[in-house]
Amino acid sequence: MEISWIQAAILGLFASLASMPGMGGTSIGNYTLGRPLVGGLICGLVLGDMSTGILVGVAMQIVYIALVTPGGTVSADVRAISYIGIPLAMVALKSYGLSADSADGQALATSFGTMVGTLGTVLFYGTATMNLVWQHMGWRSIEKGDFDKLYLVDMVYPWVSHLLFSFLPTMIMVKMGVPMVDLIKNYLPMDGLAMKTLFTVGSILPCVGIAILLKQIVTKALDFIPFFFGFTLAASLGINLVSATIIASMFAYLNYRIKMLQLTKTANATAVIVDDDDEEDI
Amino acid sequence: MEKKLSKKALNKSFHNWYYGHLTCFSQEHMQTFGYLVSMLPLIKELYPNKEDQMNALSTYKAFFNTEPQLGTVIVGITAGLEEARANGASDVDDETINGLRAGLMGPIAGIGDSLVVGTFIPILLGIAMGMSGGGSPLGAIFYIIVWNLCAYFGMKFLYKTGYELGGRAVDFLIGSQGTALRESVTMLGGIVIGAVAASWVKVSTSFTMTAAGAKEPFLILNDTLNSVYPGFLTAAFIMLCWWLMAKKKMSPLTVMLLLVVISFVGVLVGFFDPALTY
Repeated sequence: MEISWIQAAILGLFASLASMPGMGGTSIGNYTLGRPLVGGLICGLVLGDMSTGILVGVAMQIVYIALVTPGGTVSADVRAISYIGIPLAMVALKSYGLSADSADGQALATSFGTMVGTLGTVLFYGTATMNLVWQHMGWRSIEKGDFDKLYLVDMVYPWVSHLLFSFLPTMIMVKMGVPMVDLIKNYLPMDGLAMKTLFTVGSILPCVGIAILLKQIVTKALDFIPFFFGFTLAASLGINLVSATIIASMFAYLNYRIKMLQLTKTANATAVIVDDDDEEDI
Repeated sequence: MEKKLSKKALNKSFHNWYYGHLTCFSQEHMQTFGYLVSMLPLIKELYPNKEDQMNALSTYKAFFNTEPQLGTVIVGITAGLEEARANGASDVDDETINGLRAGLMGPIAGIGDSLVVGTFIPILLGIAMGMSGGGSPLGAIFYIIVWNLCAYFGMKFLYKTGYELGGRAVDFLIGSQGTALRESVTMLGGIVIGAVAASWVKVSTSFTMTAAGAKEPFLILNDTLNSVYPGFLTAAFIMLCWWLMAKKKMSPLTVMLLLVVISFVGVLVGFFDPALTY
């Protein structure tokens, strides 16, 4: 699979839009274009193999299903996962002759994406640090009363940071990655220890993504029940995700109704007590 | 004459926030510049005098960072406060505005991170992945449309509510009705994530035991585990990762590295074997 400079440049542009902090804003950039599922669609379209792109995107999406950046600390960089990791994983799959739809193909994609995503945090810190230069100019313009310059500082100058830390790295990595993948293939046989480990890690890594989410919603042991309820629906009963969501909505709705009833009940109870007080006063 | 912010200025302020809250991010100032540009159209309209503009704008030079989607409500609230200040309300000054901003950004970030990033987006992605089976673009398109519509109109609603209701806008989020709603949504999220895990994560072992001389192994560990509880090994590894992060306070990166070690050892002893050749 060949990637031309133009294709690599388009991916570089999307990387600039999709990163956190990116030029697409968080709603359209980070939370839409930066999600590996959407990145898979875009990489697939750019590289001319949509279904492989999406399957690779889905595989990586699970690892990063809850990419929360509390207080701006990142453990992985979305632009690197979606616009360096996905294209290179697609190249690797083609080169190894694996189908993106198979468990092995997804394990390979996951390993690749996670590796690139973790290394990509360098890009995050690079962009954020370079933005300090523009912010410094911003403070000066406020002191001078030149307020309109704030627009340039907030929305235009950061493009320079992205040219250096999103566009160029993505373009070069994607372009140079293709011969690298072939090199790895020649030196590391698939039934060797290194590749076996790589595939195994790829199949286990999504557990981390799910666990990060669980960490957010589980505060006591009983909170695991909804999770295992959903797990059982899919694993034992074979119910698909859309149907599982509808079943889940029903339970959530019931829970909400019960909670609201409790609230109105306590509200009524207090109202009654107030009435009693009034009578006593009389 | 009473000053009133025009619809046009409010709209511009909202769009500046919607797009620009994190475009110029740095570890030092985070969303501060996004906040400045979103207040700019309002301040320009409220204060004709350059000196007053500068004074008002310098209020928002204070550090700001929160969950950007839900945090829109704070921008809306300050729009209302700034309007009150321009009309000479004596109880609104730099300190009240920044006290409110500093007081709200923590709780809103907490609720927003768990509700928007930790529940709402994963649910949408879960459904979308279900629709993407076999490499269909349907799921990705579904996610792009639904998320962006929800984000845009949700944020617009929050801005407007914050502007109109002021501090009361937050009561709903942290009040008892809001808590009931949040709990229910979290439950929904938990169930969907469980289904996502079971559908998309597959950890299996190649460990078998064969009696001496027999052709077929008498124990295929993976099948035995799955007959106890389907997806047993997957669930076990998820619990392990959760335990390491939540109870042992390990960072996700450390856990990932640990998994590499576990995989390596597992492959060495024959517990894991992807069984692939060129």
